Amino acid sequence: MGVEFYKPQKLEDVLDVLATKKGPLKILAGGTDLMLDIRNKKYEVAGIVDINLLSELKNISVEGEFIKIGSLVTFTQLANSTLLQERVPFLVEAANSVGAPQIRNQGTIGGNIANASPAADSVVPLIALDAICSVLSPLGNRDIPLNQLLCGVGKTRLASDELIVEVKFKLPRKITRSAFVKFGRRNALAIARMSVAILLGLDGNKVNAARVALGAVAPNPFRSLELENMFLNKAMEEIDVDEVIARSSMVVSQALGNRPSAKWKNEAIKGLMRQVLSKIGIM
Amino acid sequence: MIGTKSFEAIVNGEQVKLNIPQNLRLIDVLRNYLGLTGTKEGCGEGECGACTVLVDGEPYNSCLLFALQVQNKNILTIEGLASYNNLHPLQESFLEHGAVQCGYCTPGMLLVAKALLDKNPNPTREEIKVAISGNLCRCTGYSKIVDAISAVAEKGVKR
Amino acid sequence: MTIGKSLPRYEGLGKVTGQAKFPADYYMPGMLYGKTLRTPLASAKILRLDTSKAESLRGVAKVVTAQDIPGENGHGVIFPDAPILVEDRVRSINDAIALVAAESEEIAEEALSLIKVEYEELPAVYDPREAMKEDSPLVWDKGNILYHLPIRKGDVEKGFREADVIVENKYSTQMVDHAFLQPEAALSYIDETGNLVLRVATQYVHWDRTEIARALNININQVRVVCATVGGAFGGREDMTLQLHCSLLTWLTKRPVKMVYSREESFKAHSKRHPIYMKYKTGCTKEGKLIALEAEFIGDAGAYSSWSPNILRKSAVHATGPYYVPNVKVDAYAVHTNNPFTGAMRGFGAAQPPIAYEAQMDLLAKELGLHPFTIRWRNAFEEGSETATGQILETSVGLKETLLATAKAYGWDVEKLY
Repeated sequence: MGVEFYKPQKLEDVLDVLATKKGPLKILAGGTDLMLDIRNKKYEVAGIVDINLLSELKNISVEGEFIKIGSLVTFTQLANSTLLQERVPFLVEAANSVGAPQIRNQGTIGGNIANASPAADSVVPLIALDAICSVLSPLGNRDIPLNQLLCGVGKTRLASDELIVEVKFKLPRKITRSAFVKFGRRNALAIARMSVAILLGLDGNKVNAARVALGAVAPNPFRSLELENMFLNKAMEEIDVDEVIARSSMVVSQALGNRPSAKWKNEAIKGLMRQVLSKIGIM
Repeated sequence: MIGTKSFEAIVNGEQVKLNIPQNLRLIDVLRNYLGLTGTKEGCGEGECGACTVLVDGEPYNSCLLFALQVQNKNILTIEGLASYNNLHPLQESFLEHGAVQCGYCTPGMLLVAKALLDKNPNPTREEIKVAISGNLCRCTGYSKIVDAISAVAEKGVKR
Repeated sequence: MTIGKSLPRYEGLGKVTGQAKFPADYYMPGMLYGKTLRTPLASAKILRLDTSKAESLRGVAKVVTAQDIPGENGHGVIFPDAPILVEDRVRSINDAIALVAAESEEIAEEALSLIKVEYEELPAVYDPREAMKEDSPLVWDKGNILYHLPIRKGDVEKGFREADVIVENKYSTQMVDHAFLQPEAALSYIDETGNLVLRVATQYVHWDRTEIARALNININQVRVVCATVGGAFGGREDMTLQLHCSLLTWLTKRPVKMVYSREESFKAHSKRHPIYMKYKTGCTKEGKLIALEAEFIGDAGAYSSWSPNILRKSAVHATGPYYVPNVKVDAYAVHTNNPFTGAMRGFGAAQPPIAYEAQMDLLAKELGLHPFTIRWRNAFEEGSETATGQILETSVGLKETLLATAKAYGWDVEKLY
């Protein structure tokens, strides 16, 4: 009995632990979910690999046309980043909507992704941004689009010796608007019952790029091209708000099929959509 | 002892060094090994904030942290906030404003308030509400707690 | 002492410095850790209970089942119908079946998993309205209706005949947990004189003491219950939870025993607010004067009595709200089901009826085209009013003042609303 706690100092040490130590091993980033899963005996764990000494995974940077976020960046860091506040405010809003200050101090963007919750707050704008995850393993580095990395409730295409080191996405052009809204049981510490992230690129008053992602209506957050098309190539005032709202209900209804939550979510999405549109300045 | 590891940290200003089971939570080390029972367990899953401690000045739920996760960090619990004879202005304000009823949320509330005021000495009521949003109180209805924190901020007392 | 002035909280200093001792904050050298085995079934018969494996686990000091209780196996604030440990008949989910005391919490947990219970599942009823029917499964052989209080005043039939408007509706409220922030915990030990000492957060020290003595079959003066700092209660610590369990483990091992519930076990162990199914028929004249009210309350008592009769009595007494009604007929029932037991919680039965009677007032006002303030003003209790139970309110009837203050806060022109 007993769990072995590893605290590697460098990336190669992490890979070494993952490759050689007795499993099952779990990577500890923030640990807000891992701690509970282990205590509730959700899975068997022989070792915990605490990667928090890897300070190189704690940075937010711009490289070429990409914004790169280290996997150990916490929600507090995301929320406080002036770069993100300026360029992708909806990611900041999503980060701020996570849990409460204590959880935001501890939880990380990498953990939020790897945990693969349908309701993961930061994942919804990241999906809208077509984010890519850089993953490291003893075999080397590989990039996986976030929407491919996630493959079901609590499931990812990560191998047991792989580690997310970074999330990156193309820097949106300067003239964009974005917004994130979340429906939870209360303001603080609520798991999203449903969430919407929207990003519009503007040329003057005309929408020339649109991203709409929905959270907690499918096993993982997803982009709805159908909804995005309703914004594209339209002037802001031409967007048919009622039509977008009605269509969003249909999208949610299709995504949920006959799940018990479909009945109220088909309705609730309308209010959520109205909120997000008003936040982005369309209504 | 087999299966244990050395845990070192600065707790309330004092260096501690202990051998602990490797999967032990920080709250268990504080309460069961160091006798710092001012840190309370309310839910054990990060929902209530009663177990809040400051790690390098920032609030964390000690029930969600493995002790070894905060190896070598600086930890402040309610016992380190002030002594019986020399209260922190927040402690005085909580007493003065009736922000304490059953007292179970109080240590956590005081610590998130301290972390807030250390960074932002003049928070708005809204900022105070966000700061305490991870801490449940079942008795007061929160307004007296916000009043108490707000009063210290207004006084601009040096901490 | 000063009257009319706020004083600092007497025990506040300990609370702001983290020195106040809640029960989980007590430790003793050589103490054991106690854990409870609870049933996942709502209605069942225990066919076989095998604790042998748990007993032989290294580090286990004692496994206790119903057979080991020296005295009476029952407790309750009115009727001692809640089992300390179930002997053969499970009546509600989370009923306690066995206790373990061990050298560590982990060992105690492991021991629980080694206890084998074989059940025969029995039919169950989860809705008190169903439980009142003739053919309902019986939670208790004596019948499921625990309590019925009728209140009769005037002649409701005549009242309704004279009413210009009648509104009739059904309302229901849900089960609620107190969720006090400090989960139940206790430490018990034998003191130097051989007496049992229990440190616990409780609302009912002297009754805990009485019931512990009865369960252990010892004199009351051999039991000392010391109330630790209480981390919220709101009624949820009136019934016993771990007091008897902890005491039993200490009494049978003669060692200090500590028990601490997780939040989850806390939810499982203590009482809940009563869900009440309410039927209301309210009649008034076209001037908005109430003339007749008929109400039925069916409260879900769960499997054990706790305070249910007193709580449904209070609901019944509050059926008209703070309004004068000349003709009243109320029937309040507390009914057993196989649901978790319900008991005291803030308001003690007075919190549920306002959902119904205030909604009725609004609906009557709407029918008559009256302002919500007006209909309340015209029926409000004042000094000298007679309630449905015949009580004359002699002093301190502040409703009209409150209504005026409320109207003022809303900016209503009350001169036009009387």
